[in-house]
Amino acid sequence: MKTSGARIGIDVGGTFTDFVLSNPKDGSLTFYKEPSTPDEPSRALIDGLQALLAKAGLTSADVATLMHGTTIGLNAIIQRRGATIALVVSKGYRDILEIARSRMPSSFDFHASKEEPLVPRLRIVEIDARLSAAGEVTKAADDAELERVASELKRLGVDAAALVLINGYTTPSVEIGMAKTLCEKAGGLSITSAAAIWPEIREYERTLVACLNAYIQPLMQRYFTGLKAGLERDGVVAPILVTASNGGSLSLVSAAERPVETILSGPASGVMAAARLAQAANVTSIITFDMGGTSSDIAVAQAGSAALATRTDIGGLPLVLPVVDVSAIGAGGGSIVWVDAHGLLKVGPQSAGAMPGPVSYGRGGTEPAVTDCYLALGYIDPAGFLGGRMTLDIDAARVALAAIGARIGLTGENGAALAAEGALSVTTAGMATELYKTLAARGLDPASFALVPFGGAGPTQANLLAVEAGINRVVIPPAAGTFCALGAAAADLRRDFVRSLRRAVDPASAALMLDILAELENEGSAWLDREGETSQTRRFERGADMRYAGQAYELRVALDESHRDAASICEAFHLEHERIYGFRDPQTEVELGTVRLAVVGVTDSITQPGVAVGTGKPVRKGERPIFRAGAWIAADVYDRTALGAGDQITGPAIIEQDDTTTVLLPGWSARTDDHGNLHLERIVQ
Amino acid sequence: MRLDPVTLAILGNKLAAVSEEMCLTLQRTGRTLYVKETADFACALAGLDGRFFAYPRSIGVSGFVGLECAPAIAAVGALEPGDVILTNDPYRSEGLATHLPDLHMIEPYFHDGKIIAYGWCFVHCSDVGGRVPSSISPVNTEIFQEGLRIPPVKLVKKGEMNPDVALFLNANSRTPDANMGDIRAMLAALTAGRRRLEQTISQHGAETVSAAAVDLVAYAAEKARTVLARVPAGTYSFSDYLDDDAATRLPVRIALAATFADGEVHLDFTGTDPQVATAMNIPSRGRPHAWLTLRVLALVNTLDPTTPLNVGMLAPVKITAPEGSLVNPQEPAAVGVRHAAAIRVNDVLNGAFGKALPDVMPAASSGTVIPVVMAEPDGRGGRRVQVIEPMIGGTGARKGRDGIDGRDSGISNLANNPVETVEAELGIEITTYALRPDSGGAGQWRGGCGMELTFQVLTDDSNVLGRGLERLLFRPWGSNGGKPGMPGQLILNRGTERESHLGKIDVLTVNAGDTVTFLTPGAGGWGDPAARDPVAVLDDVANGFVTVEAAARDYGVVIADGAVDAVKTADLRKDMGASTLTNAPGPNAQVSGEGPERERWDAAFPAGVMDRLNRGLVALPGAVRQRRRRDIFEAVLAELPEGFPRVAASKNAVDAARQRLEAAAGSFDDVKQEA
Repeated sequence: MKTSGARIGIDVGGTFTDFVLSNPKDGSLTFYKEPSTPDEPSRALIDGLQALLAKAGLTSADVATLMHGTTIGLNAIIQRRGATIALVVSKGYRDILEIARSRMPSSFDFHASKEEPLVPRLRIVEIDARLSAAGEVTKAADDAELERVASELKRLGVDAAALVLINGYTTPSVEIGMAKTLCEKAGGLSITSAAAIWPEIREYERTLVACLNAYIQPLMQRYFTGLKAGLERDGVVAPILVTASNGGSLSLVSAAERPVETILSGPASGVMAAARLAQAANVTSIITFDMGGTSSDIAVAQAGSAALATRTDIGGLPLVLPVVDVSAIGAGGGSIVWVDAHGLLKVGPQSAGAMPGPVSYGRGGTEPAVTDCYLALGYIDPAGFLGGRMTLDIDAARVALAAIGARIGLTGENGAALAAEGALSVTTAGMATELYKTLAARGLDPASFALVPFGGAGPTQANLLAVEAGINRVVIPPAAGTFCALGAAAADLRRDFVRSLRRAVDPASAALMLDILAELENEGSAWLDREGETSQTRRFERGADMRYAGQAYELRVALDESHRDAASICEAFHLEHERIYGFRDPQTEVELGTVRLAVVGVTDSITQPGVAVGTGKPVRKGERPIFRAGAWIAADVYDRTALGAGDQITGPAIIEQDDTTTVLLPGWSARTDDHGNLHLERIVQ
Repeated sequence: MRLDPVTLAILGNKLAAVSEEMCLTLQRTGRTLYVKETADFACALAGLDGRFFAYPRSIGVSGFVGLECAPAIAAVGALEPGDVILTNDPYRSEGLATHLPDLHMIEPYFHDGKIIAYGWCFVHCSDVGGRVPSSISPVNTEIFQEGLRIPPVKLVKKGEMNPDVALFLNANSRTPDANMGDIRAMLAALTAGRRRLEQTISQHGAETVSAAAVDLVAYAAEKARTVLARVPAGTYSFSDYLDDDAATRLPVRIALAATFADGEVHLDFTGTDPQVATAMNIPSRGRPHAWLTLRVLALVNTLDPTTPLNVGMLAPVKITAPEGSLVNPQEPAAVGVRHAAAIRVNDVLNGAFGKALPDVMPAASSGTVIPVVMAEPDGRGGRRVQVIEPMIGGTGARKGRDGIDGRDSGISNLANNPVETVEAELGIEITTYALRPDSGGAGQWRGGCGMELTFQVLTDDSNVLGRGLERLLFRPWGSNGGKPGMPGQLILNRGTERESHLGKIDVLTVNAGDTVTFLTPGAGGWGDPAARDPVAVLDDVANGFVTVEAAARDYGVVIADGAVDAVKTADLRKDMGASTLTNAPGPNAQVSGEGPERERWDAAFPAGVMDRLNRGLVALPGAVRQRRRRDIFEAVLAELPEGFPRVAASKNAVDAARQRLEAAAGSFDDVKQEA
C-alpha cells in the first residue's frame, strides 16, 4: 500500500502489547510497549497508540494505516470459549465431528480422551440435501425441509451456524444459496457456508474451517467494532488491517467475515519480519527462533518467503488453511527445571508463566525456570531486565538452583551454577533435536541456514542453540523484542483461494484449470480493490496439488504463466516428483487434485534505519563473569545501542539492549551491519 | 546407571530423536499408501544385543519396540561397513518380521572399525507376491501362499546393492517399482540414522553414547517395574474368543494366566487353541513378542507416560506361549492376518489385568478393525479396488469415564478416508457414516458407541470385502457389572423388502441399487447401569447416543419431555436391582457382562475343560492336530442345536455336549499318564 503517513504495527501479547511506528517521511522507526489488558485487549491498544504517537511526535491524523494481530480467536478455540453454534450437515453425517479422522491422540495411553468437539451432537442438524462427486445435486432440500431446519436452528437458540453439504466443494453456489435461505428463514442468523469459505475436498476438514469461523465470529466482530469505535473517538480514522495466519493481512471487514484466517497471525508476523530482514541483509536461508515465556517456535524462510503448511493443529483440531509453518521445539524462559523420581534432570513442559513466573521475579515462584538459569550463569543482568523496569532476585534463583543441584550430586560453591548449566544443556539439546526433526521432515540440513532469533529470550539462547545444532551463523535483529509488531507493520495484503478438481490432466482439464485460475484471479483482484489496495504491485501465486494415478498422496507444485497446457503442467509435476523422490514415472497418468491461488497486494517494504559507522573496535561498558563449561570466565559487556556499523566483538561477551540480552560464546565473533543487525559467526581456526 | 543425570537426560532425548528423524526421512521419501497415509512403518536404534534402546514415540508403529534383531544379524555372518540386511521371514528371522509384506532392514553402524549400534527399519510394502494381490488373505493355509520369503540376506554389500537379491525381489512382486521406492526410502532412513549417530558420537564420545544405550534401557526397565509393582501380586486368568478362524465356524480361544509379583509379570498362554489352518497365527517364536505384549506397554505408558520407549519396558515380562498354538505356530503356518488374533490377545490381557486393576483397566473395546473394500468393474475388463473406510468401534468404559465413541487405538491408530475422496474414486454413494446409538454397553460408565457405514452401490457386479469382521457373535464384554456392547452386523438392503442379515463374508457380490450396511460392535460398559447418574443418561439421550427406550430398558431411567422422571426412575431401578442379582457369574468372574452367546458357549465348553483339551491338542504332532480337533468339535457340536450359541440349547443337550468334551480332554490325560 502506498502511503505517506505513518504505518503502525501492533502485536497483542499475553504480557505486553508491542507497537512499532514507521514514519516514511524521515525513515525512522519508533517502538513502544504497553502492559496488555487481557480482560479487554482493545484498551491497551487504544491507550498505547496515543503514547506511541506522543513518543514519535505525531498525532492521530498522521496515521496512514494500522496493522494489527490478535490472539483472541486462537485463545477462544483453545479454551473452548467461543460462541454457541449449530452445524447443519447432509443427512447421514451428524457425527462428522465426533468421528473426525478417527484417530486418537495417543496409541499407547488408554486413558487418553479425544478432542472435545466444537459443536455437541445435540446442536447438529441434518438436512436432506447433498451433491454427487461430479457436482450434481442428487438430493435437493425442498421448502418444507428448509423450514424444518430453520425452525430447528431457531429452537436451538444459537449465536451462529455452519453449513456443510457432502460434495458441496464441487459447486459452492449450491451451499451459498442454501445458507442465504436458511439465514432469512432463521431470522437473520449468521451462517458460514463451508464451500464458500474454503471449497476444498475432504468434508471433515472443510467442516472444521466453517465451524471455527462461526465459533469465533461473534466474539471477533464485537472486538473489531469496539476497537474501531475506540480509535475513532481518539481521532484515528485510518484503515485498520488485521494480520493473517498466512503472513499477509486483511481489512477489518474481511477479517470480520472470515476471522478463521487470522487465528495464527501472531507467530506468522514475526516469521515474515525475519524473512524480510534476512533478505535485506543478503541472508537467503533462515530458521527463525522465537523464544517466549512458555515455549519456543521455529520456522523456515528462504529467499524472503516463509514456508507455508496446509495442515496445522489448533487446540487438537486440524486446520487446512495455508498458514506460516511454525513448529514448537520446546522450552521457553518460564519452563521449569526439575528432577524426576529416578534422578534425571528435566526442563518443562510445565511453565511458571508470567504468574508466578521464575523464582527471580519474586512473585512467589519456588521452582527455578530457564530464566533463573540465565541469571545464575551471569548471562543476564539482574538490574537490567526489561530496560531496568524490573529487578530480578538473583539470590533466590541461586538458592532454588542449588537445591536442584543437591538432588543430582552437584554441590559445593558452584552447585547452583552447575545445575543451571546442566539445565541449559538439557534445554538446548531438546531444542536442537526438535529442530533436526522439523528440518528432516522437509529434507533440509540446518548447517546451510542462519538462525534469526527474536522474542525476549531468543538472543540469549541463540548462540547455545546454534552450537548444538551445527548452525554457523546467527543474525540478531535490532528490535528483537518487538519483532512481531514490526512484521505486522510491513505485512502485505494476502488471501488464499482453492478449488478441488480431481481429474486426470488432459487438454480439457488443463483448460478448465486455466479458466478456474483466471476466475480466481478476478475474484482476488476484486477483493484487493475492495480492501482499498491502490498500488499496481499485485502478485498471483499459482499452484496445484497433483499425483500419479493410483498414488495415495499429492505433491504441491508451483505453477506460473508458462504452464498453459497439459504437457507443461504434467512436466512441472514430473520435475517436482523427481526433485523429491529422485525419479519420474512418465507412463502413468498425472491427476490434478486441488488448484490453489494466492493473491498478494504488495506493501512498501520498511527499511531498517541505518546505523552510524562505528570504529571497528567498540568500547565495552563493563565486564562480568559468566559460567561456562564448569568454570567462571570473564566476559566483556557491551551496550547494543552504542554499536556502530562494522563494529566487531569477539566472544565471550554479553551485548545488552532494553528488551533482550545477546550471549556471544567463546569461539564466536559478532559484527554489526549497516542496519544494526548483529551477525554472530563461528571463528574459523 | 553409569552416566550422570544431565548427560543421560540429554542423550535420552537425542537418541530417541535419531530414531524419529529416521522415520521422518522414511515418510518423506517413501512412496506407498502404507508409508504416507497409514504410517505402517518404524525405525529404531538397536544395541549390540540387537534390542532397541531408542524408539520413536510420536511417529510410525509404536508396538514393535520389543522386536529382536539378533537372530537376523547372526544369520548373515560377519558384517562390514555399508552392509544392509533384508528379511521378511518370520520363521528365519525368529519373529523380527511378523508377516511377509513387512520388509525389515538392518544396517550395522561402525565407529573406529567396530560395530557400535544397529539401525533398523521396516515398511509394510504393497505386495510380495503370493496367492492374492497385496499378499495377505485370511484363508491362506501355509506361509508359502503368502508370497516371497526372504531369509536374512545382505541386500547391500559395502554400499553396493546386491543385484541378484534385487532381481529376486522384483520378479516376485506385483508392484516391483513401488517396493523399490520404499526400499530406497528405507536406505535413506538408515543413512540419516547413521549420520546423526556419528554426529552424536562426535559431540559426546563413543563410550558415553554406548553407556547411554545401556542406561536408557535400565531406566525404562526400572520405570516399568515401578508401574508393575503397583499391581497386586497374584495370578489372574482370562479367556476370550474370536468368532471363528475365517475358514470354519469354530470359535478360536485365547486363554491367559497373568501372574504379577515384585514388579514382574508372567504371561502364560497355555490353554490357547492350537494354531489354525488359516492366516491368523501370531509367529512369536515363544518370545515376549510385540503382538503378545502390546497391552503391557500400554499399561506402563498409561500409568507413567514419561517412560522412554525402549526394550527396557519389556524387561519385567516373561512369556509362556506353547509351541504349536495360535500364539506360537510351527512353520509353515500362515501368519498374514496375525493382527486379527492380536486384537483379541489385547482383549485377553486387558481382561486379566482388569481383574488385578479394576479401577485402571477399561472394559473390552469393540475389538474389530474392518477395512471395508470395494472392487467394482472399471469398464475396461478389470476392477477398481479401494478401501471405503477402515471401520472400527469405540473403547471400553472404565471407572469414572465413559468409553470413547467411534475411535479405538488399541491395536492400530489408522486414519479414515474422507467420504468425498472415496466417492470421487468409486461408483458408490455413502449415505451414512455415523455412530451407532445404543450400541455402547450400558454401565455406570457407558461403553463407546460402534459405528454405521451404509453405502449404495451404483455399479452392477461389484464385490464387497469385509475382512476383519469380528464380534458378530461374541460381544465386547462389560466389566464390574457393566453390560456388553451390541454385536456387529452386516445387512444387505436394510429397511427394504429385500433386507437380509449376513454373517461373515469372504466376497459379497452386489448390484446397482443394493445398499450395504456395516454395523460395528459397541464397546463394553463399566459398573452397574442402575448406578449411572440419571443426568448423564439424560445427556446421552439429548445427544442421541442412547434412545429414550434404551434409557428405560438398560439404565432404568425414565425420560419424558426432555427431563428425568425421578419417581418413575426410582421405581424402575428398584426392580432392575433385583433382576441384576440373578445373573450368574461367568468363568471370567468379576469381569461381567459377556453376553448370552458367551454364557451359553461356556456352559458347554467350560474354561477348565478347554484348558486341558488344548494342552493335549497342542502337544500332538502338527499333522494330526487339526484333524483330531475337528473330530472332537464335530462330535460335541452334534449334541447342540443348529445355530448354537446364538440359539439356546436345552439343559440336557448342554450336559451331553459337555460330557463329550470332558471325555475328549480326559483322553489326553490318559496319554500323559501312559507316557
